[in-house]
Amino acid sequence: MRVVEVVVLVVLVLTLGLLITVGFEYIMPSSVVRPLAEFYLYATYNPYKLNEYTAMSPEAVTAIVWDFRGLDTLFETSVFYLALIAGLALTRRLLSEHAEKPGYGLSLIVKTVTRITAPMIIVVGASIALHGHLTPGGGFQGGSVIAVLPMVIIVVFSASFLIMKGLTTSKMIVVRSLGLFGIGLTAITLLLVSLVQGTHAYVFQNMIKPDAQVSMPVDIAGALISGTLWFFNLFEMFAVAAGFSIAFIVLMLARTLQTEER
Amino acid sequence: MLLGETGVYLLMAVVSLISTLAVYMAVRERDLVKAVIYSALQSGLYTTLYFLLLAPDIGLVYIPVAVGLIPGVLLILISKTERWERE
Repeated sequence: MRVVEVVVLVVLVLTLGLLITVGFEYIMPSSVVRPLAEFYLYATYNPYKLNEYTAMSPEAVTAIVWDFRGLDTLFETSVFYLALIAGLALTRRLLSEHAEKPGYGLSLIVKTVTRITAPMIIVVGASIALHGHLTPGGGFQGGSVIAVLPMVIIVVFSASFLIMKGLTTSKMIVVRSLGLFGIGLTAITLLLVSLVQGTHAYVFQNMIKPDAQVSMPVDIAGALISGTLWFFNLFEMFAVAAGFSIAFIVLMLARTLQTEER
Repeated sequence: MLLGETGVYLLMAVVSLISTLAVYMAVRERDLVKAVIYSALQSGLYTTLYFLLLAPDIGLVYIPVAVGLIPGVLLILISKTERWERE
């Protein structure tokens, strides 16, 4: 039985490899840049013609994700939070936080190493998120790196330890809501500014466009922030990190309550 | 230049083969904790593939989610249910 499985697996892998080898030219990207990609590359970082379309960010992926196709990303974000809200609604009875006695956790060595690595995890996550407009990465990536920390703390110490340190689900929900509010506010900032000035602007507008003469700041004191992109990444980082933390804490608390009821 | 490209493609082939092996081990393993570890190994190899295919953004989101968060959630669920898979 096991031999058959291995043979099937090997045949599958070899067939796929053969298919890819035969259809090489259809899978490998061509060296010619298509017109759409050309426009994106032209518009991503274009400090010389600010009156045309540009996102003022050297990172094309973040520019596409949060500027050119920002509405897509907004809906993706809302899908993630709707799933989280559904999970919270399922466990709403378990949200009462009672931190009596923290568990023993793992050994002293593991706990000390965790204490040392905890700030490093946060720094790496914040760096990935806040440099999202310069290097690969962004709000979701940085937020999920930071969300690894509560996970590690739950495993190494315990869920009650996290709650005793003040990282309760209600506080996390506040952080997550503030992050979402920030994302929404950043999306309509220029619209509000233009309404005050009596001019014309778009939702999700970042830089000056030919028919909308309001613009987010390109840099703060010489440091490039690419207008809305930096703010989107910042708020998304808080929202994602808080969202994942809520999910873990609720999962662990649900377990404690279930064993108590048994 | 050609040697470098060929080397990258060879590395991708080797990494893909090892990841297939990891998937097989994860499916066959009866101990679910070990299966989760094999799955995390496969995700780590996929991260290498994403990086070699010039998609570091996806790689950056794949490392914390597939190596950190999903195995964590799965381990919590295993600790709530059973460690050994039954027939």
